[in-house]
Amino acid sequence: MNTPDTSTPFAAQSLSKSYGAHTALSDVSLALPAGRVIGLLGRNGAGKSTLLNIASGFTLPSSGDALTFGTPVARLDTPQLTRLGVVQQEARLLEWMTVRQHLDFNASFYPGWDRSLESRLLESLEVDPKRKIVQLSPGERQKVGILLGVCHHPALLLLDEPMSALDPIIRARLLDALLERLRDDGCTVVISSHILNDVEKIVDWVVALDAGQLVENSPFDALQESFAEWTVTSLNGALPARFPEPFVLSQQPGERLARLRVRTSDADAAARFAATHHAQVQSRPLNLDEMFPLLTRQQKARS
Amino acid sequence: MPPLLSIDLHNGVPAYRQIMDQIKLQIATGLLPAGAELPSTRTLSAELALNPMTVSKAYGLLERDGILERRRGQTLTVRAVSDSEAQTGRTEPLRQHLAAAAALARQLDIPPAEALRIFKAALHEKPSA
Repeated sequence: MNTPDTSTPFAAQSLSKSYGAHTALSDVSLALPAGRVIGLLGRNGAGKSTLLNIASGFTLPSSGDALTFGTPVARLDTPQLTRLGVVQQEARLLEWMTVRQHLDFNASFYPGWDRSLESRLLESLEVDPKRKIVQLSPGERQKVGILLGVCHHPALLLLDEPMSALDPIIRARLLDALLERLRDDGCTVVISSHILNDVEKIVDWVVALDAGQLVENSPFDALQESFAEWTVTSLNGALPARFPEPFVLSQQPGERLARLRVRTSDADAAARFAATHHAQVQSRPLNLDEMFPLLTRQQKARS
Repeated sequence: MPPLLSIDLHNGVPAYRQIMDQIKLQIATGLLPAGAELPSTRTLSAELALNPMTVSKAYGLLERDGILERRRGQTLTVRAVSDSEAQTGRTEPLRQHLAAAAALARQLDIPPAEALRIFKAALHEKPSA
């Protein structure tokens, strides 16, 4: 990249990462928009954790460029690293400490550590600071990982499956806490999760990876407005056994009634389709759960 | 006076659209009269647990469409509209509902006269307690 843009929280150009013979990321180019909540989606092994680890400088690219705050990730300096908040899938914690000691330990590295935010999060996430890390359940460890990642007001918050072990009440409070950070700090949040019902509540941008390749990088609104399920009812004669339109992503054909999953941003597409096939089309939007298989299947369909 | 909005985040309709539709409906039903103030982006996003971007997009589009206007600096208020505009605001949600009902009637092979009879009967039905 020729012009490093410090207002872009993370950008990649032709980024690839291999572990031996295994390719985790392949030729990924993207720029994450600032001040957004970005949902990082993909199946297991799609490369989500690798991308997050590269953004935080834990892992370096095999080839291509990766810039965080406009700086190549290998050269991130201390002030830039303190603007990062990282919550890993399985928090690596100092097992012999109490939660209190661990918070104090981490706070000592960050001049901007916010004690009042810390105590509010201890309360809302229901964490007992007197407990020893080694005695915590997986869910409690996850909560401590979150506390350690956000109390210094990061400008870029990278969350890798932060909710997998949390109950629905705590998950809702975590989402509220993230939205509060967004409102107060204007930070950028990248969140990878398989709990799509939850991420759907806060994401406004979607990045999807499939087998190491970038398959989607769009505003969530635009995705919601382009994906739909069409219920097609024949008005005159039998419907075709297969609809050839390229925007039809999947279909359950039938003579009188067919159900299609489509992607088109053309507002008149349904009306034209109805006229062509002498049919009536009812359109229903898809939620993220329903979109997910279509998003992660695009690569195969295209190649 | 915060409007009572209820956003369903899983029905696939973008949240900003739901906010717009519900505010328009509340204006049409008179729940939000002309001149009524709307909560700030910050307040509404906190209340609905939504991304502030979503709320500001909905507000921005409602302002562009002349449904809301910015007054006294930053406060967003409901713009006063002419009687004919108000009439369209009232009939439009009904028209949208009936379009879906009409599609269902065709799917079920219900003749138009029969469909009309059903709608008329529904209009005269007393709302059940």
